[in-house]
Amino acid sequence: MGEVDLKTVQKKVTAGASHRKLLAAAESGQPICVASAGIPNEVMHAMGVYPIYPESLAAISAGIGKAGPFFDESRTRGLSNAICSYTRSGLGICWTSQTAFGPIPRPTIAVTDVNMCCLHATWWAYLEDHFTLPTFYMDMPVTDDPGAPEYIDYYESQVRDMVAFVERHTACRLDMDRLREALADSDRAGHYWKKMMELRRHRPSPMSFRALAGQVLPLVIALGERDTADFYEALYHQCLEDVKEGKTPAQGGEKYRLIWNGIPIWHHLQLINYFEEKGASFVWEPYTSLNWGNKTSTGRLDLDRPFHTLAEKYTNVYTNKPIATRFEYFDQAIRDYAVDGVVMFSNRSCRPQSIGQQELVQLIQERHGLPVLIFEGDQADPEGFSWDDARMRVDGFIEILEGRTRRGGQA
Amino acid sequence: MIARFRELFEQRHDRARALKRQGRKIIASFYGLTPKELVHAAGMVPVQLVEDRDSRYEAKGELLPYLCGMSKNLTGQIASGVLDYVDGVMVATVCDTNRHLLDIWVHQRAFPNHWLVRTPAKDDEGAVTYFTNELKRLAAELGAVSGHPVTDDGLRESIALFNENRSLFRRFYAARPTAGISAEDAVYVFAATLTSPVEEHNALMRELLASLPPGAPRSDPKLMLSALNMPMALETIRMAEKYGATVVTDDFPHNARYGSTEVPTDGDPFRALARGYLRKVPAPGSFPLEDRAVWIREAMERASAQGLIYVIQLYCDAYAFEYATLKERFDRWKLPHLKIEAEATPSSIEQLNVRVQSFVESLL
Repeated sequence: MGEVDLKTVQKKVTAGASHRKLLAAAESGQPICVASAGIPNEVMHAMGVYPIYPESLAAISAGIGKAGPFFDESRTRGLSNAICSYTRSGLGICWTSQTAFGPIPRPTIAVTDVNMCCLHATWWAYLEDHFTLPTFYMDMPVTDDPGAPEYIDYYESQVRDMVAFVERHTACRLDMDRLREALADSDRAGHYWKKMMELRRHRPSPMSFRALAGQVLPLVIALGERDTADFYEALYHQCLEDVKEGKTPAQGGEKYRLIWNGIPIWHHLQLINYFEEKGASFVWEPYTSLNWGNKTSTGRLDLDRPFHTLAEKYTNVYTNKPIATRFEYFDQAIRDYAVDGVVMFSNRSCRPQSIGQQELVQLIQERHGLPVLIFEGDQADPEGFSWDDARMRVDGFIEILEGRTRRGGQA
Repeated sequence: MIARFRELFEQRHDRARALKRQGRKIIASFYGLTPKELVHAAGMVPVQLVEDRDSRYEAKGELLPYLCGMSKNLTGQIASGVLDYVDGVMVATVCDTNRHLLDIWVHQRAFPNHWLVRTPAKDDEGAVTYFTNELKRLAAELGAVSGHPVTDDGLRESIALFNENRSLFRRFYAARPTAGISAEDAVYVFAATLTSPVEEHNALMRELLASLPPGAPRSDPKLMLSALNMPMALETIRMAEKYGATVVTDDFPHNARYGSTEVPTDGDPFRALARGYLRKVPAPGSFPLEDRAVWIREAMERASAQGLIYVIQLYCDAYAFEYATLKERFDRWKLPHLKIEAEATPSSIEQLNVRVQSFVESLL
């Protein structure tokens, strides 16, 4: 593609822009699908179905401090606070037909996967039941071996079944040429995302995790769109420039290079800035590097085998891998990204992300002797989170890193 | 008679060790959706991992604070060596906690063998075929551990034995509301099947059904209890009965397994087993919502229960979420119900007294 101005294209892929596109899609008669993160939205895009993602909307609502009414609605409907905050907020959004950006149109269909967590199945079963929505479940049995060929084949059959489901319940039809186009755009977006992640190996690392937490949005909700691919290509080139200029989000220069493990704390993203104020920069996260992008063995999507390549990509779920495999990712990243310390977010909403963290900490400390800071809290619900306490803990962690620098030259 | 069921359950660890000394291998299941027929057909004894009343185990588990008491209790039992007789564990999941707990157990090498049952969420032909192959994979691995390969005929015999157990349970539940058996005793009848060889439990059930005493007239109000955690269930039963109610039927996810549909016995037994398990169990997180609610209502009607106590163990997503889906229907049906959400600790349970009392009084 030719040179695309980052600011221009960025305006097309923001959460607000996505909401405007949703309203326009509904106005023009496009079917609207309530979708869970992790379904092959390239297919949705190719078929002309517009997806809305309650989890993303829940994260955004938390990020801009507008999730309260959705949690209140959940509480009145009998949902316990012990349930995942994305689920509570996402259902609040569906019940009220409101988002932080305005009302949402009534959906036509619903599609979910069961690959990220068990709640997806129950959550969408509830939507199917309560809103009497035709609902399709991308079946993906729990596994500890997501790369098994028969596993990928089974998911491939689900992608085909999803197409049949959409064709049964809407006037949309799949055109294979459009699917290949969508895949090409998705591939380009994922490719540049991965290249951006690799740029973070530079010292100093050019990107702020706080910015990335927002920039990941089109990878979650708009893969297959040309704007999304253009955005990541332009963003990559901007990052490349930043590398050349030695830019860093760490104030006073990059002193410490860190890993963040877990979903961002959406309601207190300023926590990331607080690390940066202290000269610490996050350079690798499983959330950014392993959850999104082209998760195939080659790092690219195979346009000649569209269904199979999507199956390979979407079955590759980090949390479905054994702890030993998860540690290998950390081990490699700690070496490749010259990491000084690790911050673990023990997230009471997300069992798949949090169970096994203590074991990972043990392995990291045994192999690398790195300091580890563990935060406990919730990804989207600020209840019980103390900003003062969090800052105090960051201060203590930075002191440990400083002490290690004084003693050994490197943190 | 009931004392024998109670003994089977309460002395489960000693009895399992005795079986082990006789050369039997013991395979633990976590939770009720594991295909125990496969373990049996491989010549081993399937036993359910169940929470112990000793809440000190929960600290020994060293798990994250926001995980359910059951996961902490079981991990604490492992850390304490209580489950030293277990030759392997098989996990079939209904929630993220029980699925990912296996990751920790694998990491800790908690047992000599670990299996995750890769169960589809659907029950169409594609899912049945996938699960049939998964059951064959598991059977091969179980056979390798026991040295007793799973054959088609052997699996058919095992299916027949577990079907008999299910049939006996259905008869028991049909008889229970009018028989002279207390709610607490009924819990032990059911709990014993989780931890005993199926042949032994079948024999005891036949004996029980032949000698069920007629019941005295029950005091009102009559209740159904829905719960996962057995110690919590027993405490709730005692509490309700203290205030004058009678718990006439119950709903544990794993006894529903036994009381629900039988596994077909014709054709390929692996395929039959796959069909018998996929979306057939009326349990939270794994059953169509409408069917689940209707199943509870009909179980209440059969037992003439006027109200339901629905016990959620704190941090149990499956029950907590299911409650919201049930509540809509219960409200619509005007089905009296009480949701209680608590930890499995004595102090947490004790705090529920007033709520149980006022619920019982509201039904009088």
